[in-house]
Amino acid sequence: MADAAVLPPARPPFNPWPAVIFVALIVLALLFLAPTAGVLLSSVKTTREIALGALWSIPAELYLGNYAEVLANPAVHRYLLNTVLVSAPATVASIALGALAGYVFAKLPFRGSNLLFLVIVSGMFFPPQVILIPLFRLFNAMNLIDTLWPLIVIHTAMGIPICTLLMRNFFATVPNALREAAILEGANEWQVLIRVALPLSLPALAVLATLQFTWIWNDFLWPLIFTQSDEKRTIMLGIVNLRGQYSVAWGVQGALSLIASLPTLVVFLFFQRYFIKGMTMGAVKG
Amino acid sequence: MAEVQLRSVYKSFGDKEVIHGVDLDVADHEFMVFVGPSGCGKSTLLRLIAGLEEVSGGEISIGGERVDELPPAKRGCAMVFQSYALYPNMTVYQNMGFSLRLARANKEFIRARVHEAAETLQITELLDRKPKQLSGGQRQRVAIGRAIVREPRVFLFDEPLSNLDAKLRVQMRIELAKLHRKLAATMIYVTHDQVEAMTMADKIIVLRDGYVEQVGRPLELYHTPANLFVAGFIGSPAMNFMSGRILDCSDNAVSVVLDGGLGMSVPCRPKNGATQGAPIQLGVRPEHLNIDGHGDLQIPGKVFAAERLGGETYVYVITKEGKEITVHAPGDKVVSEGDEIVVGVSAESAHLFEQHGNAFERLAA
Repeated sequence: MADAAVLPPARPPFNPWPAVIFVALIVLALLFLAPTAGVLLSSVKTTREIALGALWSIPAELYLGNYAEVLANPAVHRYLLNTVLVSAPATVASIALGALAGYVFAKLPFRGSNLLFLVIVSGMFFPPQVILIPLFRLFNAMNLIDTLWPLIVIHTAMGIPICTLLMRNFFATVPNALREAAILEGANEWQVLIRVALPLSLPALAVLATLQFTWIWNDFLWPLIFTQSDEKRTIMLGIVNLRGQYSVAWGVQGALSLIASLPTLVVFLFFQRYFIKGMTMGAVKG
Repeated sequence: MAEVQLRSVYKSFGDKEVIHGVDLDVADHEFMVFVGPSGCGKSTLLRLIAGLEEVSGGEISIGGERVDELPPAKRGCAMVFQSYALYPNMTVYQNMGFSLRLARANKEFIRARVHEAAETLQITELLDRKPKQLSGGQRQRVAIGRAIVREPRVFLFDEPLSNLDAKLRVQMRIELAKLHRKLAATMIYVTHDQVEAMTMADKIIVLRDGYVEQVGRPLELYHTPANLFVAGFIGSPAMNFMSGRILDCSDNAVSVVLDGGLGMSVPCRPKNGATQGAPIQLGVRPEHLNIDGHGDLQIPGKVFAAERLGGETYVYVITKEGKEITVHAPGDKVVSEGDEIVVGVSAESAHLFEQHGNAFERLAA
């Protein structure tokens, strides 16, 4: 008995899973980070260094000329401005309309509202290629080709389904008693939405703002179709435009790619605290 | 003046009628309690008065003015919800001042009103906090404060104490009663807890399945319940019922024989249809049964459980006929499981109900 007491505890059997998962995650992380790392590396090399084939090597010296060139290029300023002019209003408009629709579906249901909700949400499943030609003809007839308006309108419209879905589901979690209390105190539906429901929905709004802004900012297809002149191009087309006529300016493109991704990063960082709040909300009894 | 009147009020949800023509008068400054089991329509009735549901038929008036077609905010009602329904994004001060802000009252006025209400409820030190930083009892006070600030004609309470623990509930019950005296306002209070109803109400309305079973003062309901349902619902522990038949009737007494052969004459005024041989229910409250067997009727039985609460004891007895009855005994009474005892019933304390459940008018109450 005494001997048994001093024996070291039996080793638990070797469990390979944590190690396997760890390795798999490392591999995935490398796969995802590789393009970004590649772009980052080329953006700080001279064209000559890249042309010599040293694509993945650490540069001998930090060359910031690509960034200087990109930032000094007035066309880039134009691209960035155009992208902001599309992304900001389309993000705000799609979330605003989605919030209004979501509030009605969640708090003021009417006969057939569930069906209408499904119809709106099914808009998410339309591949853009299907509506591309009709939309082009429509905007052409309205004389809006080569302006930013089609982009704003289309991104707003295409954002409404996801915004409605998310906002409706979020508003559904706002207790009805809050709405009723506010109505009894003299609020109308608009005041209930603005003063009670929306302030409680900041996490949902933050998630939507980040998603919408990123999607619209990074969009390539719609500006390619609806804009033609260089003055109306957005940043994603700008990256393509920056390649040289006979050779690809990898360094410059890399620098612009990184600059172009900064706004979405800033938006995410700005809303990050609400993101985390949104994910943990309702996890514990309040 | 803020008396509330309901005239033939109906409410249907789709095809299902849930309130079946309720008539009701709540006097000015009265504390009226709606009580009944879950699903009896008491909360629906309250929501109809508040305007959160539309009536399907009938009229509601407050202070002589017809309100059932007015929007909720114009009816002059303030409601306190079971879940408190405080706005989580606002401080206590903002919560309490919300209605006045909506009405575009000036800041000084709002400040004065909110502070006055906060002092009444002793929550002044909480004004800068958010609801999530408050305990259940404090949240309930804020919810009441939010109602007081509006100076409504009628206060509506929808099971406001259900989410509080037992001790706090007793404390808030007393405070609400005090508040009612202080504000001298008309209050309508919904609860499923008959103890709350008995202790707080000026008048109680007992509801079942959307019908009014009885309206009256708490002790009226206790001493002269109109039917079996009210008799069983009001009083804790519930009244004991034993079935039997009418042996004989006179103008001021009914002789009954219980299943098992025991008989007694109960002083009461028999109703139409109280004929010899008709089935009846004899009801006696646990506190009116005598554990020592004194009384006009002796029921032998066996103790199968006893709950000793210190000051009092509840003894659960099974009779020879297999009927379970509850007896209230003094706290120092020594009884144990398995004891054979005789329970005494005095004729004056007994209630009689005819076969449809309606009570015979008691003469001894």
